[in-house]
Amino acid sequence: MNTCEQASRLSAYHDGEMSPDCRVEFERHLGQCPQCAAELDRLRRLTAMLGAARPAAIPAASLARLHRAVDLLPTTGIRRLAEALAGVAAAILLVCMIGLARRSDAPAATASMPVWETQAVAQQQAVSATATSDVLLASWMVQDLSGRSEHD
Amino acid sequence: MVRQIEKSVQYGKKSPTLSNHMNDHDATENGPLPQTDLELVREARHGDMDAFHGLVDRYASYLYGLAVSLIGNATDAEDAVQETLTGAFRGLRSFRQEASVKTWLTRILVRQAAAHHRRRGFRIVARPIDGAADPAGAAETAGADAQMDVRAAIDALPPDYREVIVLREMQGMSYEQIAQALAIPRGTVESRLFRARGQLQELLQAYLA
Repeated sequence: MNTCEQASRLSAYHDGEMSPDCRVEFERHLGQCPQCAAELDRLRRLTAMLGAARPAAIPAASLARLHRAVDLLPTTGIRRLAEALAGVAAAILLVCMIGLARRSDAPAATASMPVWETQAVAQQQAVSATATSDVLLASWMVQDLSGRSEHD
Repeated sequence: MVRQIEKSVQYGKKSPTLSNHMNDHDATENGPLPQTDLELVREARHGDMDAFHGLVDRYASYLYGLAVSLIGNATDAEDAVQETLTGAFRGLRSFRQEASVKTWLTRILVRQAAAHHRRRGFRIVARPIDGAADPAGAAETAGADAQMDVRAAIDALPPDYREVIVLREMQGMSYEQIAQALAIPRGTVESRLFRARGQLQELLQAYLA
């Protein structure tokens, strides 16, 4: 374990990412610090090991598949747009169908009325029905009486 | 399939394979000057699919090698490259040329690889690899074993560390290029490299002692 406080600069020195001035200064430090010198040696061996692991080359079949996928890219965009538009149309249709269904079920709306309101409406309907039957009875009586007077 | 390979060869003629001087206009005696990356991007942006195929030919091998290094298996690596190219095609208009095309593609691929790791879950194997301790190994198999151990050690790194190690040690990118590709400060590149190398030294101590 390298305990030198300059150890964190080893990577930059090793990778050639130091300015020339810093490089000269750090080389002076390396000459005086056996810990950093030993770690630099390990870094060089590590880089050699990693560098020997060559990146994999792409197989011809994979390259052909990539080109085929690229050929489909322009239509992929159009297809995605069509799918999005179809989704929007389906959503609008669904909203319209729900609206129509609610309208046809309008009487069911009274089911959500409070009890007192339902009863009041029912009484009002009963009263109007009674009033209608009274008017009818009166007209029948008038007709009947006038018929009798004619017979008399 | 044959048609595709022929097509690939044809695109290959138009766009030479990736080199360190890929943006240079090197005059050739046999034909016109090769198009630069930016010219190909400009033409692809205007709907020229041949230009985009040219970019694929130029960078597919680089992206595939990088993807295998970051992800670890060929099938997922190919998927990541395909997703990268799809993302690049969709982002052609938003490419602002602040970075090179190679750095731009690298950035997309690194994100794809990170998304892959998030989907799959990540586990750290923080155990030193003792491959070199086997004295009975023949020279040839020892070399192959060392390669496998290096691969295993890279796979055992956290994704952040693996990215900087692969880009620096295997792709030879500078700190500035890595900073651009990963969208992180240069100082972060340096500190991540320092820690990543520290972990690799522990994992591969049998080879480095």
